[in-house]
Amino acid sequence: MILSSLLHQKEGRLTHELLLEPGGFGLGRVPLRVRPEATTAMVCGYCSTGCSLNVHLKNGEAVNLTPKTESPVNLGMACPKGWEALSVLDAADRATTPLLRHADGQLRPTSWETALDEFTMRFKAIQKQHGKHSVAFLGTGQLPNEELAFLGALSKFGMGLRHGDGNTRQCMATAVVAYKQAFGFDAPPYTYQDFEESDVIVLVGSNICIAHPIMWERVMRNPHAPEIVVVDPRTTETAMQATQHLAIAPKSDQTLLYGIANLLIQNGWIDHDYITRHTRDFHDFSDFVRQFPVERVVAESGIPAEDLHRLVDTIHQGKRVSFWWTMGVNQSHQGVRTAQAIINLALMTGNMGRPGTGANSITGQCNAMGSRLYGNTTSLLGGHDFTNADHRQKIADALNISAAQIPDQNSWAYHEIIEGIQRDQIKGLWVVCTNPAHSWINQGQCREILERLDFLVVQDMYHSTDTARMADLVLPAAGWGEKEGTFISSERRINVIKKVRRAPGEALSDFNIFRLIAQRWGCGRMFREWTSPEAVFQILKRCSAGQPCDIAGIDDYRMIDEADGIQWPLVSGPAAPERRLFEDGRYFHADGRARFLFEVPRPLTEPATHDYPFLLLTGRGTAAQWHTQTRTQNSAVLRKLYPQQVFVEVNPDDAANLGISDHETVRILSRRGAIRARAVVTNAIRRGQVFIPMHYVETNLLTDAVFDPYSGQPSYKSCAVRIARINKCCPGC
Amino acid sequence: MTTLIQQLLEEQQDLTAVDRFSQLHAAGDLPAQQKYYSRLLPASPPAAGQQYAFNVDLDKCSGCKACVTACHNLNGLDENEAWRDVGLLIGGTPELPIMQHVTTACHHCVDPACACACPVDAYEKNPVTGIVKHLDDQCFGCQYCTLACPYDVPKYNADKGIVRKCDMCSDRLADGEAPACVQACPHEAIAIQVVDVARSVAEVPGRPLVPSSPSSDFTVPTTTYSGGPPLSADLTAADLSHLSPQHAHWPLIIMLILTQLSVGMFAVGLLVGLTPSDDAPQMPAMATAAALVQGSLPAGGSGFTNPLSTAVSLSPAAVHSAVALLLGLLALGSSTCHLGRPQYAFRAIIGLKHSWLSREIVVFGAFSGAAVTYTGLTWLDIAPPWLVTASGVATVITGLAGVACSVMIYVFTRRQFWNLSSTSARFLLTCPVLGVAGSWLTLTTFAAIAQHEDTRALATTCGPWFATTLIIATLLKAFSEFRIFRHLQEPEPTQLKRSALLMTTLLRPVTMLRFTSGLAGGILLPIMAVLAPATAPVQVMLFSLLFVSCFAGESAERFLFFTAVSPDRMPGGLQS
Repeated sequence: MILSSLLHQKEGRLTHELLLEPGGFGLGRVPLRVRPEATTAMVCGYCSTGCSLNVHLKNGEAVNLTPKTESPVNLGMACPKGWEALSVLDAADRATTPLLRHADGQLRPTSWETALDEFTMRFKAIQKQHGKHSVAFLGTGQLPNEELAFLGALSKFGMGLRHGDGNTRQCMATAVVAYKQAFGFDAPPYTYQDFEESDVIVLVGSNICIAHPIMWERVMRNPHAPEIVVVDPRTTETAMQATQHLAIAPKSDQTLLYGIANLLIQNGWIDHDYITRHTRDFHDFSDFVRQFPVERVVAESGIPAEDLHRLVDTIHQGKRVSFWWTMGVNQSHQGVRTAQAIINLALMTGNMGRPGTGANSITGQCNAMGSRLYGNTTSLLGGHDFTNADHRQKIADALNISAAQIPDQNSWAYHEIIEGIQRDQIKGLWVVCTNPAHSWINQGQCREILERLDFLVVQDMYHSTDTARMADLVLPAAGWGEKEGTFISSERRINVIKKVRRAPGEALSDFNIFRLIAQRWGCGRMFREWTSPEAVFQILKRCSAGQPCDIAGIDDYRMIDEADGIQWPLVSGPAAPERRLFEDGRYFHADGRARFLFEVPRPLTEPATHDYPFLLLTGRGTAAQWHTQTRTQNSAVLRKLYPQQVFVEVNPDDAANLGISDHETVRILSRRGAIRARAVVTNAIRRGQVFIPMHYVETNLLTDAVFDPYSGQPSYKSCAVRIARINKCCPGC
Repeated sequence: MTTLIQQLLEEQQDLTAVDRFSQLHAAGDLPAQQKYYSRLLPASPPAAGQQYAFNVDLDKCSGCKACVTACHNLNGLDENEAWRDVGLLIGGTPELPIMQHVTTACHHCVDPACACACPVDAYEKNPVTGIVKHLDDQCFGCQYCTLACPYDVPKYNADKGIVRKCDMCSDRLADGEAPACVQACPHEAIAIQVVDVARSVAEVPGRPLVPSSPSSDFTVPTTTYSGGPPLSADLTAADLSHLSPQHAHWPLIIMLILTQLSVGMFAVGLLVGLTPSDDAPQMPAMATAAALVQGSLPAGGSGFTNPLSTAVSLSPAAVHSAVALLLGLLALGSSTCHLGRPQYAFRAIIGLKHSWLSREIVVFGAFSGAAVTYTGLTWLDIAPPWLVTASGVATVITGLAGVACSVMIYVFTRRQFWNLSSTSARFLLTCPVLGVAGSWLTLTTFAAIAQHEDTRALATTCGPWFATTLIIATLLKAFSEFRIFRHLQEPEPTQLKRSALLMTTLLRPVTMLRFTSGLAGGILLPIMAVLAPATAPVQVMLFSLLFVSCFAGESAERFLFFTAVSPDRMPGGLQS
């Protein structure tokens, strides 16, 4: 027996390592090693979908996770980032102590006492020398509401800063302005159930298969065999799944949308009743779009006339048409008007407020909406206006502070802060949970500008981010899973995050870092009520009272947890699991009417020329990568799922003309910089265009710092570049 | 301030989620996810002639790769381990570009190459479910299955010293639960189905699973890919142009080269008639060994007369066979370095019926026995000459059989670069190349050190024969290997074109070394050695150089054998 098992051993230690056992808690079989003693659900901390993840706990600490089956959002599914959300917390490059740059230029560990002293003394000295407003902050859409509010209130009411903005400027600012102007409030009207109820789904500049895989799950579960229309210059994963793909010329979407509106009006395929009862300025719009006959649209967008007619017919035939957009629209030199061109289509066809309809902006980051409502950057806490005295008084009362402490002027937008540094008006910068040295447009220039600062503080989970490496002071932050708070997802769903892991070393939650700074700065009394995230949640309820985003009906975190998240608004009573806005056709403008907003399309800011004959598109690479990859690069499994080095998609004809073969390393040059990238020769990209994913640090060396005039959002997705083969005999050229 | 810092640092380490929320989530024991995946599982288990198989609906695979991370997390795998991969096919036309992600795991083949290759029977194909399961505790980490499986499924885990692979979550399936990947696909692209084995076999001829993937007729994979672009569409794997050298497997390089050198030397010894009865300088073995180490011998060479030494004679045959034996044993030692768990090497005997690796191990085991016997006899001078010769012949025959097994190990994998003719040319011709080079050096050195005229004469007499053999073997080998470069002309990146491209680009320095060093040692130096008589020390240097050149050439050849192979695979993702 012993001999036979020595010769042929079917079980033993190694087999045991992979043993699966029933996990309880509705989980099915799980690895024996990490069988949970308890589970608790929390919202994912990457994108704005807001998937609920069931965290498996052992000794109170997270050991594994699975997507939550009962969640009305993700129905038991998650994308790779969600599945790997815990593993990135263990990374070797986590910041575990404050780091201070010494005279020799090295960042070295220091104590929290010293770090807080430096933070306070250096920023106060700058304020003394250059004025209160010479210190600014850059925040994020990745922190929970309570921390964003603390950052905004501490900096603007406590420290006397005026200028602060978030990285949501890079993703959502356009949608915010578009909604505010059209609906009277930044109010995405939909609920994810709409993906399942539409019979026509129009996706403009949105590769949701990759950017929001779980929203695509909801599309795939649509039982109505919907017509899926994708408007995107590239053949993306989503375009592959479309029933109609309109591969338009880059940034010709606004013209296309006006052309569609014109055809709908010409054909009489509009909802006069809805327009009359619930909107304004339609006649002006109707006159305006006459400038967009089919011939013009065909010429400018490159779309065949029959495709245009087919799409218009599809919209007309649809009983429940929903329009969705993401960064292809938002990150544009004319994004606000393009987004409003989409909104106009929904309004004029009456596709609003009913199941399966809507003009729907898909948000980027997990708490982009929270940063808009509670970040205290562009708008005063709770979606209020800094320049409105009544609003200032209301918030002052809600916070128990004096209204005089609230700035009566708006903050500079992100790009104005960067320009302010360039003009030496901003000398101190506090960067919280974002990575401008990688993500900001025209990166070479951005880094030069950041070098001008007298004092740069970076507060982050990782000491290795491109921006942290430039910092004078690094404050080590706890991450998602190591702290509490609430996020607001794309469909306005507020959900909780929980503390299921111990932060490494001396890392502290951003919330606690703000508490320390308030204390050390000398404004601790102002924040004496701000003792815990949940206490601040109660303050935020007061700040939103009477607003479209009123959440007075949410008692506490436990109520949110029990309901699997609650969509705003909730003034009172129990919350239905899925709710949409504008069911009564009343918009948030004083007259209750939505606006038709439009403008003559603007020319491309940097069209292709003889020297720079290609247009560079940028965008998300894979579902396994997140933004500047400070987190996702720390998962070994995620790293297997995408190319490690930057690559560029090139059309086969262009490649042949240039003599470039697949997988060859080529040089890409713009007027701002040059990079090397592997060529991927594919029909997915049209002639005259190239595509580079945004996750690689090189990409933004090429992009051109131009912005939407209304939202200040950078236009990442079109600048002119040249491709060159690398001369083997002289590798430098 | 310090107190607050201390208080907050302590608070940060205090986990609250369990106390505050967990009781809310104490749901039942039944898997909640069942309501989604139940329709992705077959209604009944396989009947006779059927088995479980994956079905992938390509129309539903959007390339999110959640299946890979779910496999990793739900199976508790190591840091970068996952048993599912997602590749990409690209192509189509300018009007209709195609980008098709392809999720792939073990295909639980009807005729699994991994199981056939495994020398220790660490694979079991379940007779009812058809699932090919790997027995982790039986595996000794030879990694042969990683070469044999055309789909790159078994993955070596260096930390554990074993291979691990997908078992279709058989424990879950047995309980009516879906495998991790099936549970986790947001789009329900992966399902488990019951397939008729006969149908899987019938569908095989000439049809790969998806474009670019290996031909199915080798192992008869059971996974079915439905939907998606037609197989005829002009699609290629996104990683097709990505040339990356494969693992070199250094212990195997050394093992192969040295076994072939050893067998070659034994054969040369027999052919030139080296026997202990040669008029050898009789001297105590130990003293000679010491002298060999010191590089000098006392004048006369045979001046010792020690009663103990009478039975131990140090003939050229003895030295020659000892060198061959030593190298042979070194080879076998090296091969165990390739095992993740060498302590279980003995298990290799149980795969004899089907595994060429098992056969190789057993046959080389017999070879080493024969070689030890033969060498012992040449040293001890106690056996009749016919017995010595017979043991020598047995050594060479077992050795050649071992080399043949080595050849078959690689031929079995059906990689074109490792086909029968080219692999046998490589392995079998290394025997004469290194056998002659090694013998020539050994005899010359022995003659010089021992100042043994007969040996010197023998070496000189055999010189032209040695040189001719070496040159012919070298030329045949070089010709056979050089033929790969014909494939550079092919329009499509076939397996052999990819190998040729690797050899001329990333592996170019090794290719240069292989041919320059090999041709110098195998052609130039032997001609010099025969045509230009030299003094003994110069000869020793010359033959050392000849041997080193040949050895370097052969090592480079074998390095290229492993690293330049580029089999067809399931499509991989974009690489950069």
